Amino acid sequence: MKKVWRRTAVVYLLVAAFLAGLAVIAVQFFTNGRIWATQRANLHLFSGGTVIAAGAVYDRDGAVLAQTIDGERVFNNSARIRKSTLHVVGDPQGYISTGIHSTYRTELTGYSFVNGLYSVAAGGKGNDLHLTISAELCATAYDALGSSKGAVAVYNYKTGEILCSVSTPTYDVRNKPEDIDSDTTGKYDGIYLDRVCNGLYVPGSVFKIVTCASAIDNIPDIFSQTFTCTGKKVLETGTVICSDVHGSQSFEQAFANSCNCAFAEIALQLGEHTLSQSVSQLGLLSELKVGKTSAGKCSFNVSGATPAELAWAGVGQHTTMVTPMHMLVLAGAIANAGTSAKPYLVGSVTSGETNVSTGKTSYLDPVMTSQTALSLSGLMRNNVTSKYGDSSFKGLEMCGKTGTAEIENGAPHAWFVGFSQKEDCPLAIAVVIENGGLASENALPVAQKVMKAAYNTIK
Amino acid sequence: MFAGLILSEWIFFLTGSVFFRIRHFEPEVTAFLLSTLGLGAVAAESPSNALKQFLTLLAGEVIFFIAIGFLRNIEHVKPMRWVAAFGSVGLLGLTLVLAKAVNGALNWISFGGVSFQPSEFVKVAFIFVGAVTLERLQSTQSLTKYMFFAGACVGELFLMYDFGAALIFFFTFIIIAFMRSGDVRTLILICFGALLGGGMILYFRPYVADRFATYRHIWEFMNDGGYQQTRTLIYSSSGGLFGLGLGQGKLRYVFAAEEDLAFGVIFEEFGMIIAFAAPLVLAVLAVYAIRCAKCSRSSFHSIAAVASGGLLVFQACLNIFGVTDLLPMTGVTLPFVSRGGSSMICCWALLAMIKSADRRTYTEINPESGVRSE
Repeated sequence: MKKVWRRTAVVYLLVAAFLAGLAVIAVQFFTNGRIWATQRANLHLFSGGTVIAAGAVYDRDGAVLAQTIDGERVFNNSARIRKSTLHVVGDPQGYISTGIHSTYRTELTGYSFVNGLYSVAAGGKGNDLHLTISAELCATAYDALGSSKGAVAVYNYKTGEILCSVSTPTYDVRNKPEDIDSDTTGKYDGIYLDRVCNGLYVPGSVFKIVTCASAIDNIPDIFSQTFTCTGKKVLETGTVICSDVHGSQSFEQAFANSCNCAFAEIALQLGEHTLSQSVSQLGLLSELKVGKTSAGKCSFNVSGATPAELAWAGVGQHTTMVTPMHMLVLAGAIANAGTSAKPYLVGSVTSGETNVSTGKTSYLDPVMTSQTALSLSGLMRNNVTSKYGDSSFKGLEMCGKTGTAEIENGAPHAWFVGFSQKEDCPLAIAVVIENGGLASENALPVAQKVMKAAYNTIK
Repeated sequence: MFAGLILSEWIFFLTGSVFFRIRHFEPEVTAFLLSTLGLGAVAAESPSNALKQFLTLLAGEVIFFIAIGFLRNIEHVKPMRWVAAFGSVGLLGLTLVLAKAVNGALNWISFGGVSFQPSEFVKVAFIFVGAVTLERLQSTQSLTKYMFFAGACVGELFLMYDFGAALIFFFTFIIIAFMRSGDVRTLILICFGALLGGGMILYFRPYVADRFATYRHIWEFMNDGGYQQTRTLIYSSSGGLFGLGLGQGKLRYVFAAEEDLAFGVIFEEFGMIIAFAAPLVLAVLAVYAIRCAKCSRSSFHSIAAVASGGLLVFQACLNIFGVTDLLPMTGVTLPFVSRGGSSMICCWALLAMIKSADRRTYTEINPESGVRSE
């Protein structure tokens, strides 16, 4: 008998394994529960893959961007606002994987390990999200972009709040075009892509901000150098072409003229190693998180480049690619003495009257010294006063840089990157218009309209 | 009906104390707890199914008492082992011939409008035969005989593609064989043989492996092979610690939810605490069985109790870990909780086996008659 009893150890082992297995499952439910519960197959939240139950999404002024009424997801009443906030808010089917509806769905459903989906499954109400964007400002930016493809983003470089983030082409979630997936004319190209964070563009002349910063830090006599432009710079390995014949000019003038010859010369003075180091120091190659998504990965590679290639890279061509969000944050860093606030989109999450969490201001790593930032600000301010026209940014003490980025096929992309120095208007802006042609004719007016409206929004 | 359930529980306890002079009802209470959970989950959707489930629960209680009486004096029932053994092999053989394919496994037979799962009843017989045979003669011969019997049962289940049941039988066999012989080498040999056999089946019948193709890849196959498992995880986590409320769940609408996915249904509707209480209670039941076995009246009772407890826990392992993708999904029921008459009756019969090992069950028998043999 005793022997028999001892042999029951086999069953003890089984029970132990059983308990261990249960513990493993419990831990899995604890760690993965939020992912599992918010799967699109969950009929508590989705119907046919479409969100039906979730909390509401509001803009900074309390305008409803999306909410659930009687088991249906309803978006803002204005088609302009629906279209202009599409990429931030996301769509109920989740085609826009970077939208709030996808990235914040755990918060929207109010999921918690303790209560599961009780609040949303029983009461139809999850948590509400209060975004930092202004729906009206987004609509203004959307109008300004017109029918062009592109992106406009504005944020507060002192707090990190994103006020405006618009990506085109876009569509109306209420009347999604039927030919959206079958179209071959290209009018819906990348329509689900949020171009602000994930559009990768050749920077063109806005990249001269980077070359400039590198020069200020690494070439001691840069402000006393003079550059001569004959319309092109001939190198053994190729020729860098300039938009004009700028003649003899100072560093400051060359930046304002956006002179390719001068910046090709500067890039060659810096060399591939120093320029690469600056690009990386300025944070362009770092991962940039906005809310729960990461902005696209920028690229800059001049290792083993010929002098001509290096020269082209110095003026933002060659193989360089950046996202509007990275350029926006760079502008913010220049404006804020070298350290930008971390951009964020969700101001607060609330459940009924109670606050679940609040978006807080945090700072990115410093990317330049405050002295460099001050010098760059001065140069960018000079661009506006001497070239772009200070009156068009009336009273904003605007600093900026335009860019006309040559691409292989089609008209160049038009860029504007800048910021206001005004104490009560700590805003930076990035505009890119695909195939927009000359920046001064296309990107600049968009920036003017949006900055003016943005200032009115926070005033 | 729930009034009926409560009434039946009182009648059960009364019957137990008056006719069987049982004074302690620990294992029965656990069984009632689990059965009630299962019944509740069924009742929220279909009253007619719930009535059926309730009736089988009653049948289970009756079987329990019959079995308790039956196991009172083991000497009287020993000859029954041949009946049970040949009956089992024969019943499974008959199933193989008659059964219509239900859900991929040929494990059901219909008889006069009532369909049942013979493998459930054979489980009970399997433990009975094993415990009697091995109790009687501690010899290689008896073990060999039992091995043949076990091999026949497992083989027939394999032919039915009821891999879950086959695995349960095999594991129970291991417990019984080890309990009796204590010979680790024999067991290793058996396991090795079984692995080889299993490997050969996979080699010659590759489609068998397809059934396990989704294992650890359920999210890649979430709309076919991993459907049940992914839905279990999705809806279970929706339930949180306290559940969404009885009948408020969505998992119950998934195919075979109340049988295979009972754990998930309970999790979603009653919450994680209760869902985890159910398997914990089963684990306690197994420990109870072992404790009883320590000082039971005969080694038959010890083996039967430990094997029954082991079987229940092993089956719960296959069920719960199967639907949560810790093990491959085999489609076995969760003891007492899952919907299904045959399973319910089998569980109560196994409970009787455990109970019969408790010295307190048969109070009128002189404790000295069950002298420990050490």
